[in-house]
Amino acid sequence: MGHSITLTVNGTSVTKEVEARELLVHFVRDHLSLTGTHIGCDTSSCGACTILVDGKATKSCTMLAVQADGSTIMTIEGLASNGELHPIQEGFKENHGLQCGFCTPGMVMTAVDLLQRNPNPTEHEIREGLEGNYCRCTGYHNIVKSIQHAATKMNT
Amino acid sequence: MQLKGKETFSTSGQQLWDIIMDKDKLAAITPGISRLEVLGEDEYKAVVDISIGPVKGAFKGDLKMVDKDPPNSVTMKVKQMSKIGNADVTVHLHIEEISPTQSTLSFKGLAKMSGVLARMGQRVMTGVAATITKQLFAALQEEVQKLKPNS
Amino acid sequence: MTYIGKPIKRIEDDRFLKGLGKYTDDIKLPGMTYAYILRSPYAHAKINGIDIAAAKAHPGVLAVYVGSDIPEAVAGVPCGWQVNFKNGDIMKEPPHPLLVRTKVRHVGDGVAMIIAEDRATAKDAADLIDVDYDVLDAVVDPQKATAAGAPLVHDDVPNNIAFDWELGNPKEEVAAALASAAHVTELSFVNQKVIPNAIEPRAAIGIHDAAYDKYTLYTSTQNPHLIRLLMCAFVLGLPEHKVRVVGPDVGGGFGSKIFHYTEEALVIWASKKIGRPIKWTAERSESFMTDAHGRDHVTTAKMGFDADGKIVALQSNTYAGMGAYLSSFAPAVPTYLHGTLLQGLYTTPKINVDVTATFTNTTAVDAYRGAGRPEATYLLERLIDLAALEMKVDPAALRRKNFIPAFDGVEQEGYVTQVALQYDSGNYHPVLDKALEMVGYEDFRKEQAAAAANGKLMGIGFSTYIEACGIAPSAVVGALGARAGLFESAQVQVQPTGKVTVYTGSHSHGQGHETTFAQVVADKMGIPMEDVEIVHGDSDSVAFGMGTYGSRSLAVGGSAIVKSIEKVLEKGAKIAAHLLESSPEDLEYAEGKWTVKGTDKSVAFGDVSLTAYVPHNYPEGLEPGMDFSSFYDPANFTYPFGCHIAIVEIDPETGKVDLKRFIAVDDVGNVINPMIVDGQIHGGLAQGIGQALFEEAMYDETGQLINGSYMDYTMPRADDLPSFEVDRTVTPCPHNPLGVKGAGEAGCIGSTPAVVNAVIDALWKGGHEVKDIRMPMTPERVWTAMQG
Repeated sequence: MGHSITLTVNGTSVTKEVEARELLVHFVRDHLSLTGTHIGCDTSSCGACTILVDGKATKSCTMLAVQADGSTIMTIEGLASNGELHPIQEGFKENHGLQCGFCTPGMVMTAVDLLQRNPNPTEHEIREGLEGNYCRCTGYHNIVKSIQHAATKMNT
Repeated sequence: MQLKGKETFSTSGQQLWDIIMDKDKLAAITPGISRLEVLGEDEYKAVVDISIGPVKGAFKGDLKMVDKDPPNSVTMKVKQMSKIGNADVTVHLHIEEISPTQSTLSFKGLAKMSGVLARMGQRVMTGVAATITKQLFAALQEEVQKLKPNS
Repeated sequence: MTYIGKPIKRIEDDRFLKGLGKYTDDIKLPGMTYAYILRSPYAHAKINGIDIAAAKAHPGVLAVYVGSDIPEAVAGVPCGWQVNFKNGDIMKEPPHPLLVRTKVRHVGDGVAMIIAEDRATAKDAADLIDVDYDVLDAVVDPQKATAAGAPLVHDDVPNNIAFDWELGNPKEEVAAALASAAHVTELSFVNQKVIPNAIEPRAAIGIHDAAYDKYTLYTSTQNPHLIRLLMCAFVLGLPEHKVRVVGPDVGGGFGSKIFHYTEEALVIWASKKIGRPIKWTAERSESFMTDAHGRDHVTTAKMGFDADGKIVALQSNTYAGMGAYLSSFAPAVPTYLHGTLLQGLYTTPKINVDVTATFTNTTAVDAYRGAGRPEATYLLERLIDLAALEMKVDPAALRRKNFIPAFDGVEQEGYVTQVALQYDSGNYHPVLDKALEMVGYEDFRKEQAAAAANGKLMGIGFSTYIEACGIAPSAVVGALGARAGLFESAQVQVQPTGKVTVYTGSHSHGQGHETTFAQVVADKMGIPMEDVEIVHGDSDSVAFGMGTYGSRSLAVGGSAIVKSIEKVLEKGAKIAAHLLESSPEDLEYAEGKWTVKGTDKSVAFGDVSLTAYVPHNYPEGLEPGMDFSSFYDPANFTYPFGCHIAIVEIDPETGKVDLKRFIAVDDVGNVINPMIVDGQIHGGLAQGIGQALFEEAMYDETGQLINGSYMDYTMPRADDLPSFEVDRTVTPCPHNPLGVKGAGEAGCIGSTPAVVNAVIDALWKGGHEVKDIRMPMTPERVWTAMQG
């Protein structure tokens, strides 16, 4: 029944037994107790479960845990270093880019990928880049500003 | 959801009618139906397996033929239940013989769905229905070809 | 004043940004089991039988419960607001069972609960349950539900009418005024059923501690104490002091997490039976089917004007869908939160509002961001904008002509409406002035005319709204049928070292109370914000609370905190006076210390706190300690108002509406944290715009919710919206100590009609004189309207 998988999670190597049908998001939340990654839907539409898989923003509900065998993943818990907020996290705090906080981890991880691919996005590019992530609290206004803040900071 | 379709076959109306009224042939040409078991007169138990995109499931239910007017028209009432939702379909079939070697089969009907099928499948069901119709007509064409003496 | 009025960064953000928030589904306890609810796939069906044998036998399954397992005495979840029929009869209030026994009434009605070792096993076992249904015809439209021969949602509720209700001036007077009006604008429209869709799906954990025979419920709620009260007193009959309810971090509510839901009672009830904690977490599909929906009005309204453009009368007739059951506060929404707002900002002398609330085979409807006020605003603002088009006058000028003159509620009396309210304070011209200036009104009209000449469709839409929040004076709402008080409580506990813990009955699920309330406390007490901790959401720590909804947290909950602070400082002054060998009257308190007036003799807050707990040198007869609770019951609602303006461009080829700009000038009274207030406005705007352009709970004629997933229910995404242009004016509330009015719902209340009005304006300027386009204004609907 069980499949053994080994992957690097937030810099640490992890080996666990998982069921073949188990989704990566359940693995992260239930086996690794990294509950910062959230589940907001059952159709891969909301993006609350977005994490980085081998550096790319990935909705962790669209992957089986066994598919992540051998890969390197980063969740929201792994983003700050030595307690210092990552510039994107800082951008969200400075610009009130979060309210209830539920979509936030997915938004932040999506933004990490977005700014990796495009360090100087326009407002339009940021809004397009957030297409896969729902937020119901902010109307996206301050999320866009947060990412602009982070882009400026990361480019200096 | 509204269902409709129309196709011309190079055979007589009666022959078309006979194919549709033959439960084994009907089972063979209808996509997804693995078999039809006789429950009573004009009443069958149908075992259906459908897997088209997100619409995937094993259905159990029955098929009834009512208002039969051989070889012109019949109404099929299909009730199917599955874990992804239930379907309640009424289809009026109409055969029109244009000549002894050419007939059209047309149908129109209404499908009512519940559960996940209704909630999440609705927008793809029209496409699914179109695909099934296409497959059904293609299979029926083949069945008609088999009737030809030289085939 | 060090903190109040400043955009202080939020205290709660660090934990959320680091993934350390604790939402209900994040909680994992030893021995945890998992519940799955099997739900009806039909909108209306009789249950002939349920076969659970195979599910019970499935490996890993601990229990399967159906309706007949629930004790007879447990009728179901209650309704907390009673509205009577016009003839005085009590509203029809059929039970909402925890699990259905005989007849399901909407898709998603709970039929069985399966408890297993893990979630997947519970779900697998649910597949093994056979329910024998007789499917019945369904009714989904609130108006058609009353037609003769319509299917009955509840067999003992004739014509599906839950209640009817009327408010305002007599109908004959309004009819007479309309008959003599120079112009009457009439509009029939649908304020469609929408789904709140907080991104955190609802979740509940039930725990029974056999050692103390005590229950704990963790639940994604906006008001833990209220859930405890309803569940203990009206559902399960549990002793309230043996039940703890915790609303931990909650991922958005927008109203949908106010109400007491069946799953909360089910996990508590079953936790004792199986002797292990039970967690239930909704899948998104379940949220669509079971979270209370919003709006669902079918309305016809008439607004009459004299030759000068003054409104002379308003008649409104509404069918309000309640869904299949009466949710916790549902009856209040289309009545006391809607009919009472139909004065708007205008001096309309005759108003009559008539509401018929009906049951349908759809998910229950209750308060959704704005709750009744968006529906009232939509009605008024659509009518006045349409009237301006019909009468060929400027919509801003027409509003101005009808605005109630300014009043501050102190020097000038509050404004008494035709529909049972007295506005607290208002000054309506400045919000319109400011918004017009921001939009560049005259230039826009020129640009619009030029665009029209080139075949482009541009439009501008206005909405000048008022709302009633800061809910609410208990005696008033009690007289109107509320079965609970709507005060708030707060405890300010000063620790011996001068640090302060504040326990508030308000609940934060995104509003930032931990920051805003700390700003208030720190300023009022003259201490650093770091020395203040705001505790909320746990009935074992917070003595009592009524929770957060109706934009009430700061106006009511904040006021309760201020009352407790006053008590702390009053006692502190006595201790300080003793230490300074002075008298309390001779002291003044500032910057964290008591000083003898006119001297430099002072004692710091921390020293006074320590003395209160180490009372060696202490005033005679004074109790030790420094810990005060208060209950604050507001004297009136608060009445924020504002002006929203939308600018749209319509693609004439496709009918697609492009929202180019959105300007919002809101007056929410005094502002404690402008950054947070702006954020609240932004979020409200997005939801209001979402209703105008994208969102609707769509049912087919059999009662199936056909867009019950995020794939199909279109919420606004980032690239559907522009950046918003927001500003404010400040008209303080005269009757609460902070002068605040409330900001949580304003954005959602004002924005919807502004967008629709802009589309209608664009079409008229392009020669298509259509009165209405049904929301959401999809490209197909707009294009169809343009074809005449």
